[in-house]
Amino acid sequence: MRWMGKRTTVVALCVLAVALSGCPSTKKKGAAGEDGLGGLGEEGLAGSSLSRAQKGLRPEEDGILKDVHFGYDSAEIDAGERDRLAQNVEWLRDNPRAKIELEGHCDSRGTIEYNLGLGAKRAKMVKDSLVGQGIAVDRVSTISYGKELPLCQEESEDCWARNRRVHFVILK
Amino acid sequence: MTSTRRLVAALALVLAVTPARAVVTGQIFGPGSQSFPIAIAPLKNLGGDADGAVGKQFARVLSRDLDLSGYFKIVDPRTFIEDPQSSGITAADIDFVGWASIGAQELVKGGVLVEGDKVTIEARLFDVPARRDIPEVGRRVSGTRADVPRMAHRFADQLLEVLTGERGPFDTQIVLTSTRGGRGLLKELYLWTFDRDDPVRLTSEQTLMVSPRWRPDNRAVLFTSWKEHWPRLFQLEMGTKRVSRLVPGKAVMQSGAWSPDGSRLLVTREDGGNTDIFLLDRSGAVVRQLTDHWAADVSPTWAPDGQRIAFNSERAGSPQIYVMNLDGSGLRRVSTVGNYNTAPAWSPKGDKIAYATRAGGGFQIVVVGADGSGGKTVTSQGSNEDPSWAPDGRYLIFSTTRGGARHLALTDRDGRVQRELTRGTADDSSPAWSARMEW
Repeated sequence: MRWMGKRTTVVALCVLAVALSGCPSTKKKGAAGEDGLGGLGEEGLAGSSLSRAQKGLRPEEDGILKDVHFGYDSAEIDAGERDRLAQNVEWLRDNPRAKIELEGHCDSRGTIEYNLGLGAKRAKMVKDSLVGQGIAVDRVSTISYGKELPLCQEESEDCWARNRRVHFVILK
Repeated sequence: MTSTRRLVAALALVLAVTPARAVVTGQIFGPGSQSFPIAIAPLKNLGGDADGAVGKQFARVLSRDLDLSGYFKIVDPRTFIEDPQSSGITAADIDFVGWASIGAQELVKGGVLVEGDKVTIEARLFDVPARRDIPEVGRRVSGTRADVPRMAHRFADQLLEVLTGERGPFDTQIVLTSTRGGRGLLKELYLWTFDRDDPVRLTSEQTLMVSPRWRPDNRAVLFTSWKEHWPRLFQLEMGTKRVSRLVPGKAVMQSGAWSPDGSRLLVTREDGGNTDIFLLDRSGAVVRQLTDHWAADVSPTWAPDGQRIAFNSERAGSPQIYVMNLDGSGLRRVSTVGNYNTAPAWSPKGDKIAYATRAGGGFQIVVVGADGSGGKTVTSQGSNEDPSWAPDGRYLIFSTTRGGARHLALTDRDGRVQRELTRGTADDSSPAWSARMEW
């Protein structure tokens, strides 16, 4: 729970900084290494699924960091998904200042409140795996959106599988 | 048919039924039978309702309620013989033979007086074969023009009480979440009543929100919102439409429910990926942690006695419904139908628990005894979630995908009534039925 305090503080300081400088900050693009994000630029900062929905955008699928997928009603990370996770770990090692939020998402085949619990479990499972591979615990926060922000809304195996995921949001 | 032959036929019909009072409390068949023919006449204008708008509105709302109840066959108004504006509204003046001839067993007639914004309605229920009114239903009520739907709902509720032995559920409100705002996946809180076609929006939060629940005094609704990034509990004051945090602090909370006396809260709190159920006092302070298990425990709901709870846990390897005492003792699984069971709702009468069970590609609503006995699936078409009981413990509202977009529908504890309530292409979900409203 200590994440929230830090996050709130960071946001508050940013707001304060902008207010004091009197002009909006503009992010520099492509300055490799400068911000520790490997020249990520704005295109890498897609925003959370909720903030995207608030802008009328669809949730992002596979940003710079790849989504990790799950079986039905499961929070276990399958062997096939561990490869994707390993790529993400590699990027996090290369970008040591990057902080991320893990979004737990579910398919439509569970009820709203049950899926909130399941989404939280999925996000925590991925966080534990990252921490176990040496990523500092204070770089990773988690949030569950249950089945509220699906990538697709068809009732099909393909769509359900896409929606059962932990999505990586780069916070900085 | 000549008028003489019609009269003879009507007389034969009248003589065929018991000459004394034909309707006795609890005598008519259960919901879903649609067995009981009732005629609902527009109210007679006793002054000020020149275009008959108020009189027709009352009849329209009452007819819809009685149709939804599943007990009645509403006699087609196009077959009415009496002109509601020129005929009498007391037993001595009513053409009972005529009403019997079009098949009406019961009749609602009355009058309306409109003076400025003030509306006075006097409506009565008549037993057609017995040619008399049933004094337990209907009396003179006054209010504003805006109160007319509630006057009709109250009349329907009284009528059901007299004819079925249980007061009806229609003078109530439903709160729900919906994407009707057209902002994609974002949901707002909406209010729906049984006289409306479409829900009306209550909030402008522009975020995600789920799981609204009424405070027992009907004056506030709690809900889970991502307004401050992580899901937390908020409340909407119905009078002022003000939204504020319900439980202070940084804990992540996925759902909440007020105790029947409004003094305490059950909440689902997430910490480190796991969810457990906590009992909080009015200020939001933890009174007791009710579950402490590595498996997810979610969706707590109160028994009406305030001494027991039902909740959803996956501790047995799949989600199931459990009940336990408020001190944590007496844990017992009650979901006997289905192997993936979520979203419990405890009937206000105390005897039943409804939940959603996974079946085929979707969910169906199951009603089971609070002791786990006698489970019965009460829906069959579409995917049906989030059951919420009416204050009478007889009807259930839930969300369904039958026939397209997710919308609200009604059933009863035996599954005999199936009625669609809202329409459209948006996603209406998480309905919560209020307590009875004060007049």
